[in-house]
Amino acid sequence: MSEKTVQVLLVEDNAGDVRLLREMFRTEKADSFELTHLLRLKDAETHLAKGGTDIMLLDMGLPDGHGLETIRRAHAVAPGVPMIVLTGLDDEVLAAEAMKEGAQDYLIKGQIENRALPRALRHAIERHRMQTESDLIRAHQMQFKDEFFSHVSHELRSPLTAIRQFVTILLDRLAGELNAEQGQYLEIVLRNVKQLQAMINDLFEISGVQAGKLRVELQCTSVSDAIAYAANTLQGAAKAKGVALSTDVELQLPSVYADPTRLQQILIILLDNAVKFTPANGVVKIQARIHEEDPSLVVVEVSDSGCGISPDLTERIFERLFQASDPSSAGRKGLGLGLYICKDLVTRQGGTIVAKSAPAQGAVFSVTFPVFSLVSLIAPALRRDGRTEAPITIVATEVGSQTGWLSDEMRRDQCREIRNILRGSLHSDIDVLLPKMGFAGAVELFFIVAITDAIGGEAISKRIRKQLDSSEPIKQAGLIFSTSYRSLEVGKRNASESSEDHLENVAARIQEFMNEQIASRTVEND
Amino acid sequence: MTNKKILIVDDDPDIRLGMNVRLRANHYDTFFAADALSSVAEARKHEPDLIILDLGLPAGDGFVVMERLKKIPALAVIPVIVISARDVRVNRERAIKAGAKTFLQKPVDDAELLAWIRQALGEPPSALKKPEASRQPVSQPR
Repeated sequence: MSEKTVQVLLVEDNAGDVRLLREMFRTEKADSFELTHLLRLKDAETHLAKGGTDIMLLDMGLPDGHGLETIRRAHAVAPGVPMIVLTGLDDEVLAAEAMKEGAQDYLIKGQIENRALPRALRHAIERHRMQTESDLIRAHQMQFKDEFFSHVSHELRSPLTAIRQFVTILLDRLAGELNAEQGQYLEIVLRNVKQLQAMINDLFEISGVQAGKLRVELQCTSVSDAIAYAANTLQGAAKAKGVALSTDVELQLPSVYADPTRLQQILIILLDNAVKFTPANGVVKIQARIHEEDPSLVVVEVSDSGCGISPDLTERIFERLFQASDPSSAGRKGLGLGLYICKDLVTRQGGTIVAKSAPAQGAVFSVTFPVFSLVSLIAPALRRDGRTEAPITIVATEVGSQTGWLSDEMRRDQCREIRNILRGSLHSDIDVLLPKMGFAGAVELFFIVAITDAIGGEAISKRIRKQLDSSEPIKQAGLIFSTSYRSLEVGKRNASESSEDHLENVAARIQEFMNEQIASRTVEND
Repeated sequence: MTNKKILIVDDDPDIRLGMNVRLRANHYDTFFAADALSSVAEARKHEPDLIILDLGLPAGDGFVVMERLKKIPALAVIPVIVISARDVRVNRERAIKAGAKTFLQKPVDDAELLAWIRQALGEPPSALKKPEASRQPVSQPR
């Protein structure tokens, strides 16, 4: 069987390296590899766009492309072409990051054995093929499952709709009077219909959890707001059952780094469970405080005076489809998905969840979330390569609507698009696009911390405006925007200042700038 | 004052009947269609003040109906409320982009539906209307 010639694209600007690499193909059969050599990333992009390349060998330090950006650009033109990166001796960290960006392998220049290169190429191509295939299979399976869930849910919802309609028609006496007993029975029907509806929603949610479809958008989030919201939602159910529901939030509790909607969802699931498993005259409490041992965490605790959980079950309750019988509805079970969803959401926000209990002594669910910390967000950018004294410029982008008010729907739909554009406008891959700052004015504000001076800040601003100007979705949504930037005069770190203190100082300066920006928007729109 | 007219588009006869009872009790006049084709024809005939639209319909779906309505100037201005059992994650955004006032997922809470109807019709919000209309027998929609 004659094998097809492998088309290799080599992008490398060092003539010596090229000669060495070419040498390595000498011992291969003629026609097994055909090498195309280019010096610049720009030419490589053009070549890749034409198609026909089986694999590329990419140097990460080209005249017109550097570091991870090289990989991203090459990937963007030819996502289906496997890639091996070539790095210098001291760049192994970068090489590892390159693998995360989708490179199949990396080779360290000067350390490639003679026969190793052709072998590495063949392996990379094969591995890439297998990966693509298994991704495809998994995508098909996911799609089938999603379609199945969607179908089942649809089919269950339709008859349930008719049942609910007519029960409420009867209950509202639209079809004549009812006696007290009839009314009472119909209330029972309605309650069960609602329960069934909640189960279908759970089923649905779970298909999202597994498909990784539930979006988690981490931002600066207020725990006390989420607690107030969740407690308010469950207050009615607690009252109806004669359970006292109270909240206790530490004063001056810092914001956490979490998704506000998901945080609410988690607390609602926990409170709902607590109320469900607590008998009349019982107590359910939700409290929040700084973690006693680790001040970088906030703990939210939901405790109840219910039947408790036996100690051997405190871990199993988070498993999918685990069911504890609900004493209040005579052995009735739920779908066993609530805590599973909860744990998934907590974990994906960098938190932990544990249950503690002894039978007949109630249960306590503790959830932790990382405290929102500007320092930890900017630290990687400033620590790398001793950039602690590099100039810092903050670029603020303000997005508003032509109508003067940005609806929640618009925020949800467009923020993603805007963040993508902002990310693409960064100066280098160590610049940081900060998460949302928990600001809800008539506009939306985005902040970038760039390791550059005012000239760089101007360049970034310009790029952002240009990109936003040419974005079709932004235009269609009728959004207007403006940018501003300010360089921080951080100056040299003085001898007495530790690098930790220096970071804290820089973070405080950034926070100060953001607060000013936020405050000015809030006053304008009051 | 004459009653406002609402066109109910749903292929499930039980749901049409339930909707009919509820809306008539709240003093709306109701008309019906059970598929995409006849819904546009019924809209032309009655020029309703509001359309309640299911997405899964024979002969095209709710999105097709909205597209067709948009092309007819007299009908393009009629507010549409979409009520569907389909996946809210995909369809809410799509429905609103297609011009619907809102997307409500089945089973719908009647109070919520009525609140949306009042808003779409520019009526002041008020409580659920109850008994007095209930004595008249309700005729089965076709």
